[in-house]
This record gives sequence, C-alpha cells and structure tokens, in this order.
Amino acid sequence: MSARGFRSVIMTGAVASAALGCYLISLRVAFERAELEGVETKIVLAQRDIRLLETEIGTRGRLAQLERWNLKAIQLSAPTADQFVDNGFQLATLVKPDAKPAVEVPVVLASLPRETAPARAESIDDSGAPPPASNSAGDLMHVASYRRPASPAPRLAPPTKPNPAVAATIVPAKTLAKPATKPVKTATADPLAALPSGASKAKGSGIATKRSTKEPGSP
Amino acid sequence: MNAPTPALVARPERLRLVGQRRKLLALMHQRLMIGLLVYGFIVAVIVFRLVYLAAFGDHAGRKGMALSLVPERGDIIDRDGQPLARTIDAWTIALQPGKVIGDKLDLARRLALLMPENDAAQYHAMLVSKRPFYYLRRRAAPQLVAAINALGEPGLALQREPDRLYPQTTLAAHVLGWTDVDGHGSAGVERAFDERLSSPATRGEPLTLSISGKVQQALEHELSTAMQKFSAIGAAGVVMDIHTGEVIAMTSLPSFNPNVAGSSTPDQLFNRITNGVYELGSTFKPFTVAMAMDSGVVKSVGQIYNCPNELHVYGQTVHDTHPFGRACSVAEIMMESSNIGMAQIADQLGRDRQKAFLKKMGFLDKVAIELKERGRTLTPGSRWGPFETMTVGFGQGIAVTPLHLATGYATLFNGGIYRPATILKVDANHKVAPGRRVFTEETSYKMRSLLRLVVTKGTGRKADAPGYRIGGKTGTAQKIIGGRYSNSVNITSFAGVFPMDEPRYAMVMMLDAPRATSETFGFTTAGWNVAPAFSVAVSRIAPMLGVRPDKRREPNMAEVLPFVHDKAER
Repeated sequence: MSARGFRSVIMTGAVASAALGCYLISLRVAFERAELEGVETKIVLAQRDIRLLETEIGTRGRLAQLERWNLKAIQLSAPTADQFVDNGFQLATLVKPDAKPAVEVPVVLASLPRETAPARAESIDDSGAPPPASNSAGDLMHVASYRRPASPAPRLAPPTKPNPAVAATIVPAKTLAKPATKPVKTATADPLAALPSGASKAKGSGIATKRSTKEPGSP
Repeated sequence: MNAPTPALVARPERLRLVGQRRKLLALMHQRLMIGLLVYGFIVAVIVFRLVYLAAFGDHAGRKGMALSLVPERGDIIDRDGQPLARTIDAWTIALQPGKVIGDKLDLARRLALLMPENDAAQYHAMLVSKRPFYYLRRRAAPQLVAAINALGEPGLALQREPDRLYPQTTLAAHVLGWTDVDGHGSAGVERAFDERLSSPATRGEPLTLSISGKVQQALEHELSTAMQKFSAIGAAGVVMDIHTGEVIAMTSLPSFNPNVAGSSTPDQLFNRITNGVYELGSTFKPFTVAMAMDSGVVKSVGQIYNCPNELHVYGQTVHDTHPFGRACSVAEIMMESSNIGMAQIADQLGRDRQKAFLKKMGFLDKVAIELKERGRTLTPGSRWGPFETMTVGFGQGIAVTPLHLATGYATLFNGGIYRPATILKVDANHKVAPGRRVFTEETSYKMRSLLRLVVTKGTGRKADAPGYRIGGKTGTAQKIIGGRYSNSVNITSFAGVFPMDEPRYAMVMMLDAPRATSETFGFTTAGWNVAPAFSVAVSRIAPMLGVRPDKRREPNMAEVLPFVHDKAER
C-alpha cells in the first residue's frame, strides 16, 4: 500500500531529477559553447589586428618606398649576365682567393726578426736603446696592418731621425736588413696598385697565410 | 415517523433560492475556471519560453560579432599574394548640427583649428544650417579623432566606416582603379569585378590578379626614369606572358594615387595601355612580314625587293629614314625598318588578307581584356585602299592600343596562337583562354631570328641587354597635332620579346613626345630613347620572371645573317 502510494511520488521525483540533469547538461554545453565563441571571437579580433598591422607595414614598406630608399641609400642594381653562375664549379672558381703579391711581401718583413734574429737582436741589444727597436717595430706594424697612407711617411721620416742617435750600431743591421727591406718598398708601392685586393683580409689571415706563402717564395 | 418533515418538501421560495445559488455557484466556477485557464496559459507560455530558451536559446554572453573575417569588399592581391587593395575600418568624422548643444561659434573656431580645410565661418555656417548631416573628414587620423572626441560635443559623430585602402599607393593604379564614396568600383579592376568584390558570397576570397607587384614597380620606375630623362609628356608599358596571355605588369604614366583618386587630373586617370590608341609605326612591320610569310608572298627572308630612295605609288610618295638605294632582302628591310620595302610587301599581301589577319589577331576590335576602359581601334575604314594597305603595313594609318600590340607580339611568338589578354592570374580557378591559330608555327619560328637581328644589328641595338636575348622592333610614329602629322613630335615605342630563343614574355614600352637630349645627338626616334629604357627594364624584370641571362644562347641567326649585307653596319 505504502509502496504503491509513494510510487507516483518517486516517479515524479525521478522524472524531475532527470529533467534537471538534462537541463544542467544543456546548461553546461551552452556554457562551453559560449567559451568557444569567446575564443573564436578573440581569434577573429587577433586576425583583424594582424590584418591591420600587415596593411600598415605593407603601406609603410611599399615597393615605391623601397625603390626610393634604394635610390638614395642602398643603390642596388639589377645583376648583369656575368653575375649568374651555372654550377657549383663556376662558383668555386669565383671564390678562389686570388694570388696577392702585395700581401706576400710585407710578410718578409713581419717574419724577419724571427729568421734573421741574431743580426737584429744583436744590434738592438748592443745599442740597448728602445727608440730604434720601437721604431722598427712600429715600422713593421704599419706594414703588417697594411695601412697604406700612413706607412710611407713615418717610414721615410723616423729612420733618418734615430739614425744619428744610434747610427753606428744600426748601420750594420741596416745593411744586413737591406735585402729584406728592399721588397718592403715595392710592397708599399704594390698595394696602391692592387687597391681593392682585400685589405681587411690582410689583417686577419695575413699572418697565417704569410708564412705559408712566404716559404715557397724565399727559395 | 408521522411527524411532518418539513424538510422533505421545500418551500417553493426556498427552492427558488437554492436554484439561484446553484446557478451563481456554477457561474462562479465557470469564471474561476476561465481565470485559471488564462493564468495557466500565461504560465505555460512563460514556461515554454523558458524551456525553449534553455534548450535552444543563445546565452547571455553572446557578442554580436561576426565569427569570420569577411571584409566589406573583397581584397585584391597580386600574383604573389601581396595585397594591392584592402578594405579597412577607418574613422569618419561627421557633424549633425541638430544635436549640437554647446556654443556654436566656439565650436566652429575649435573645428577650424583642428581641421583647417574649412575656416571658422564655414564651420559656423554648417553648424547653424538645417541640414541634418555633414561629413567633415573621411579616413581621419587617430590623433584627430582623439582630439575631436575630447571636444565632448554630441553633435560630432565619430564612426568607423569601411574604407578602401591601396597600400601600394600609385602602383598599378590604372589596373586597380578606385572606388567611389558608396564603395563601388569606378574604374579598373574595381569596376570590372565590382559584383565579384562586393557580393557576400565571393568577397571572402581575395581576387588574385596576374600583376606581379615587383615587376610592376620595376617597369613603372624604369618608365618614369625614361620619361623624365627625355621630358616626355606620357609613357606606357605592358609586360605579358605570351603563352597564357596574363598581363604581368601594366602601367600608364603620369599615374595617380587611387587612395585620393578624386584629386587627379583626367590625364592622370587615363589608361594609355588599354584606352589610348596610337599609331605605333614600325612596330607593326613584323606582323606584315609574318602575314606575308604565312600567305606565301614572302617565301624566304632572303627574298629581294627593290628599295629606291623614294617610292612613288598610287599618287603618293613613301620615304625612308635610312634609304637603301639598292636591292635589299626582307631581313634588311626589317633590320633597317624600311618603309619602302615594307610597303611593297604589304602591297603584294593585299588589303583583304591584311584585314583578315588583323581581324584574327583582334586588332580591329576593342582589345580583349576584362577591364572596361578600352579604346576603339582607328582604321582607314572605308578608305582602306591599296595605298592604305601599304601604310598599315608599316604601321601608319591604323591606331591601336599598346595592349593590342603586346597581344599581337604574344600571338606572333607563342607559336602563332592568339589568346586574349587577361588581368586575372591563370591557375586552377582561371584556366588559359582558348586560343585561335593566326600564324603557322613555322612563321612564328622564323620571326624569332628576324627580330633578334633588329636588336643585334639593326635599329634596336640600344635595346639589347647582354644575355637576355631580346628581340624586338622600334617604332617611331609622328604624332598628330591639330589634325596633321607633326615633323618634330613623335610617339616612340619598342615592342620586344625575351628570351628570343625560347620566347616567354612580350613587353611594350612607349614614350609620348620624348625630347632630344645631348645623349641622343638630337634624335627623337625610338632607337635612342625608348630602346635603352627597354634594355634597362628587361635586365631588371627578366631575373624576377625567372629568365636567366645566358650569353651563349641565341636564336638560330644562321637563318637571317646570310641575307644581310655588311653595308648595313652604319
């Protein structure tokens, strides 16, 4: 009797809770959907911003503007037919370092103290005077660092100045060094001729290559 | 039991009373029921509405925003995907005089300070007028919008309106055209594809043009350089892919800025490539030779014609700038651009065949392209007699657009098939237009070396760019000023194809009324002004188009060189 009496109540309760559950699920789905829409909206807004920024950067960097910059500052021009290479071999022939006689010669001087050390060292030790040493070192430095405009002037001036001071000791050294210094003079002349032949290269790799290139040259 | 039971028999008045009460009760029940039903119905409606909203309705946080980014009007992009036209939201400042609450005189002064295009008096006149709405500024800068907003005047409306922006400004202005205030195309692609660009179904997809921005810029720059150098009043240039008919670049100078198209002169807005018709002169000669070859009139480029210093025919006289004064071959006629020789070839070809060929090449109709600004070819019409046939043969007496000429060169060198020019990129969505055969493949092949000869040894020597194998023809036509041919003012053009051993691109450049400079030794003919510009332009454009310069490749020059006498080496 009681079970029968409560049956309808239970049924009603069950239906009501089921309906509530369904409603909650639907609510949950709606919430998720709203979240998704929010994200999508954000994406669209971001895309719109990207579009705006793209447009702005495209307008600022428009081709006519690039052309103007190129004319004023960059000054690039169309490549000529000779600037196109067919294959890797041709490219390799282009990047092969060309022989630089101008760089070779200063090497002789740069490595001179080491090879003809006895002669030089003696003369310097004998005098005990720093001026000739510093003078000759500075002289060498100029050649090694390949500063063309600066080198001729100090070269001509300093040797005459210290000469009277340490004339006696230096002279033999000079005569000894003569064969070495001679090519130096041609070296100062040469770089001017081969002006663009990698002055920067001479600084960095100069000393390394100098010695190796010098050896075949000396005998 | 016997006692009377008065209740058993009701008194009549009492009976009546009961009946009345019943009636009243029934009535009340009825009314209550109706009220209940009405109330229940309302509740049911509300409940249904709630259930419906819960089940299918939108949630409260919904924003009224479109979930996809469909612009108000479709983008236009070039063949590499770079935007050429876009619609952006721009600030518009408007004035609604009826809503103004502040001091009008003061406001007018402030407005004149911020937007000096009108003075305070004009602003005041607007403020006191009865008109409901004024546009004060379209596409206003953000700083100005902020300043206007700071005035705090409800009568000043700040709105965001879609606005057409051309990021590349003057680049390809004549191709793109511009839009009017309502956002509809007024010229160019904007007008030709207005439906496609504004329809909601199609505007989401950008419209891809065949124009290449880089090539267009190079062409524009080189043309404007040449135009300034030779003080020409105008210039035009077009680059075409000869196999597909795609227009890679197309420019007309002086140009305009489509962002502010309203402030341009009609001369700037005029598209010389598709709308202007010109007698392009000697650039026509290759067509005449090709027609003659195809019809069997000219059997070999070695065929000899008598080329006197002057040719007297049909009561007229034909002159040459460099008269041969001897017999010359077709190759030489072409190389030295001899009118006298070409007139004889055209005469042999005859009017009917000439007309039929020109018709097949599309020269007698409006030029075939999607743009709507197209000029009508001027022909001798009913006066097309034998002498006119001769003049048309060397390019005088017929006026066509430069695009006609480019299409003609494309036809001549793509194997002889005419294809209409197109401004849309040819891809899966837009197939190559079906062509029709005009010249035989053999003629097309023979013309290669002939036009290359013009550039290596003839009048177009300055057009040569080392390695790019340019072949082409110079054209100098006297300009018609006041109804008669001027002796000093020319229209010079150069029509060329590169690379000539495997033709891929046709290019036409034209200068309107170039002047002589010290470099040209007083000459104003095409070989001196437009040809060098052509050379520079090709050496810039060709690498972008994937044409590699190669000095070891040439078309088969052995076909023409035997027929050239050394005397031609001036």
